[in-house]
Amino acid sequence: MARVDLKNLLGKKKFTLRQREAMYGRLFILPWLIGLVVFFIIPFINSVYYTFHKLSFGDNGLEFTYIGLENYIYAFTKDPDYVKRLTSSITNMLYEVPIVIVFSIFVAYLLKDEFRGRTYARTIFFFPVIIASGVVITVLKENVLGSGSSMVASATTIFRAENLRAVMINAGIPRWFSMYVVDIVNKIFDLTWRSGVQILLILAALHNIPKSFYEVAIIEGATEWEKFWKITFPMISPTVYVAIIYSIIDYFTDYGNQVMRMVVTQANNGRFEYSSTLAIVYFVVVMIIILIVNRIIGRRVVYLS
Amino acid sequence: MKNVKSLKLTQISKGIRIDEVTKSVAKKNLLKVLKNLFLYTFIVCMSYILLYPVLFLISNAFRAKEDLFDPSVIWIPKHITLANFEYANLLLSYPTAIKNTLIMLIPSVIIQTFICMMVGYGFARFRFPEREVLFGILLFTIIVPIQTIIVPLYVKFRYFDFLHIGKLIGLFTGKPLTINLLDTPWPFYILNLFGMGIRSSLYIFVFRQFFRNMPTELEEAAKIDGCGPFSTFIRIMVPNATGAIITVMLFTIVWHWNDYYVSAMFNNENLPVSVMLTVLNTRMSMLQAAQGFSSDDIYLLGSTVLEAGCLMVMLPLIIMYIIGQRYFTESIERTGIVG
Repeated sequence: MARVDLKNLLGKKKFTLRQREAMYGRLFILPWLIGLVVFFIIPFINSVYYTFHKLSFGDNGLEFTYIGLENYIYAFTKDPDYVKRLTSSITNMLYEVPIVIVFSIFVAYLLKDEFRGRTYARTIFFFPVIIASGVVITVLKENVLGSGSSMVASATTIFRAENLRAVMINAGIPRWFSMYVVDIVNKIFDLTWRSGVQILLILAALHNIPKSFYEVAIIEGATEWEKFWKITFPMISPTVYVAIIYSIIDYFTDYGNQVMRMVVTQANNGRFEYSSTLAIVYFVVVMIIILIVNRIIGRRVVYLS
Repeated sequence: MKNVKSLKLTQISKGIRIDEVTKSVAKKNLLKVLKNLFLYTFIVCMSYILLYPVLFLISNAFRAKEDLFDPSVIWIPKHITLANFEYANLLLSYPTAIKNTLIMLIPSVIIQTFICMMVGYGFARFRFPEREVLFGILLFTIIVPIQTIIVPLYVKFRYFDFLHIGKLIGLFTGKPLTINLLDTPWPFYILNLFGMGIRSSLYIFVFRQFFRNMPTELEEAAKIDGCGPFSTFIRIMVPNATGAIITVMLFTIVWHWNDYYVSAMFNNENLPVSVMLTVLNTRMSMLQAAQGFSSDDIYLLGSTVLEAGCLMVMLPLIIMYIIGQRYFTESIERTGIVG
């Protein structure tokens, strides 16, 4: 039914093939485009508008007093935490995201083939997705992973690498080195918990590779290593690209991210204008990072068609 | 066995000695054993990391308060009790909260998946001049967290007036017509319908990547058979995207279920289960009234009841995943239409 209407509307003869394709493309994305303007761009502009004002709750709802760049100046020169947290966020991201990606590809590759207990393994790796995105993780972090805040003291330290540090120091390994190792081990727990979505995305992509590609490669005498780099990796590259972008964003918008915490705290304290300022500066920075990554990786992605 | 035989024959015909062949077979077997050993060690280690918190929750949730300070209790409580779950059930208003969650969740998930698939398809398969710019904006929307725009959105749904139709009516009646959509699931439905739901942009991105990888021949064949772009999409692309659909649906369910920030913002009553969990601690005093507990008891019960609550919130998701897992696994195995 829709097709007939559209044909009448678009008038088959008046447009070239290319124009018609463009028209259909726009129709497909139309819902999103409306949503973008109404539920994103307009609220976003409002948010930017807030950053140049001081907000107060008067008799007629929100009242705005224009204060120029004061919020921005405060964030960069007076706020003791903002710049520090922003830079540490970025540097941490630069080495955490590659680890997450490599780890996800590795796990997905392991889980791809048939083996006893695969269903179990896949269920296990989905756990972080179920837990890590909700309130439950906050409770867990405070009660299980947190040190001392829990009333139940038993075994809470096992999850962190405290024991390992003690063992290493007792074994005569230099303190700085054991600290460094312990830090990485502590991170590995955290990073594992953040790879759930990426593993699933890459796993789905791995199963999307036609078997015939591998058959040809085997006939040609390719080794496992060659098969991975010449077939598997290029074939999953679009998904790896998604996973990279996702990981970066997930890292920056994670509830535990220090800058995000500042944004949320300021909003909860009713300082919407300052919260907006922090958020907007932050996302300009993140956007620049994404654009750079897009430049570097986006062109190396292989598409079949 | 068969392998060894055929290998022997071919190798013998090439004049290679048999013990060399058996050696290479043994080497292969050894590699396989090593690979399996590594695989299972790895999975066991990962299970420890990933299951530890859940086991911890289970262990604590069944604990009676006598066990809390008992140093001899590590994993298995001496006094197993279901009381924590009873209290959590009361404090979460569990049945109502689950109902509220489902009313919001089910239509949202269906709308969101379909709309995202459609938009993703539009981005993947059609060329139009502004496509790249719009796609860049899409990426941008992923990284702007809801926190930046939540206040204006709140105002928007408090005085909802789509495309100023209400204002237009107001010209005639003298008072602009707006609807208060807060405390209804409509903000979620509307946001999802326009591709702006929780992480919609990410799903659009996933579908776009997925559709870009589909062979063009399929569409051409459909076109020759007389399908327009929309029927090609519905009849050819959607059935072939089952894997991507199930993956995305799984994520949409989980994220809608777990969302508490947006739900708490748009609702004051009809709270979903995730928001109830965040206020569980503050509702502890309800126990005082209902059960006649002292404030010391309340303090003691605090963490175990919360842990029982966490389990109850997670449980439906875990059950859903265990049931759906088979379809999910199967679907990601047969997404390839090329093979």
